[in-house]
Amino acid sequence: MLRVMSRRGDDRVTWDDSKVIAGDPEAMAAVREAERIFAQERAKGATAFKIEPGKPAQRIEQFDRTAEQIVLVPRVVGG
Amino acid sequence: MNSFTQVLTTLGWIVVALAISPMVWLIFQPYVKTWSRAERRAAGLLRDVLTPEQCQQLLWRGYLEVKSPSEPERIYRVPRTRGYVQVLEHGRAVMRLCVQPVENLPDADIVVLHKLMIEANEENYLSKANKYFIVD
Repeated sequence: MLRVMSRRGDDRVTWDDSKVIAGDPEAMAAVREAERIFAQERAKGATAFKIEPGKPAQRIEQFDRTAEQIVLVPRVVGG
Repeated sequence: MNSFTQVLTTLGWIVVALAISPMVWLIFQPYVKTWSRAERRAAGLLRDVLTPEQCQQLLWRGYLEVKSPSEPERIYRVPRTRGYVQVLEHGRAVMRLCVQPVENLPDADIVVLHKLMIEANEENYLSKANKYFIVD
């Protein structure tokens, strides 16, 4: 799942990786959409974190389709 | 004359209601915000990212303690609502940090943002933050 933080809470794109492997067109389209959003938000300065249960969060530079959850955090500045 | 008095009384009450409505809004605003869709979604993400113990700490103490991955004696206290992040070293407050997203986010998302940045991107987080050192 890709979660993008926004004023609306978080926008989500979900996919089933097993269906992607099986070549399901809907799941593949969801992954492509998630990849596009990932690249777009990264270009705006967002930071991406991979979150797996029971593990510390990990910063990632590349989209990881197999990640259980990716959270995109908008660019931060000193207040 | 009687109806004139009634009109004046009604107008008076309207003026009083308008005068106190900002105060009422300020009091109830946090509750209204919690009910909003954005806050509910953000609270869902917060629950997914925090452990039950961390959720409890945030609820009861009003802040979340995040351990520094680089300095074992450093702890960041992230407030539940907007405000400074307090940095403690050896149990003593040493500085306050002000970091905010460029985009307006629900409060729960801001807590998640601090936690993720501290745990997985601490150096960058500190470089962006405005620091206010606490001198005894």
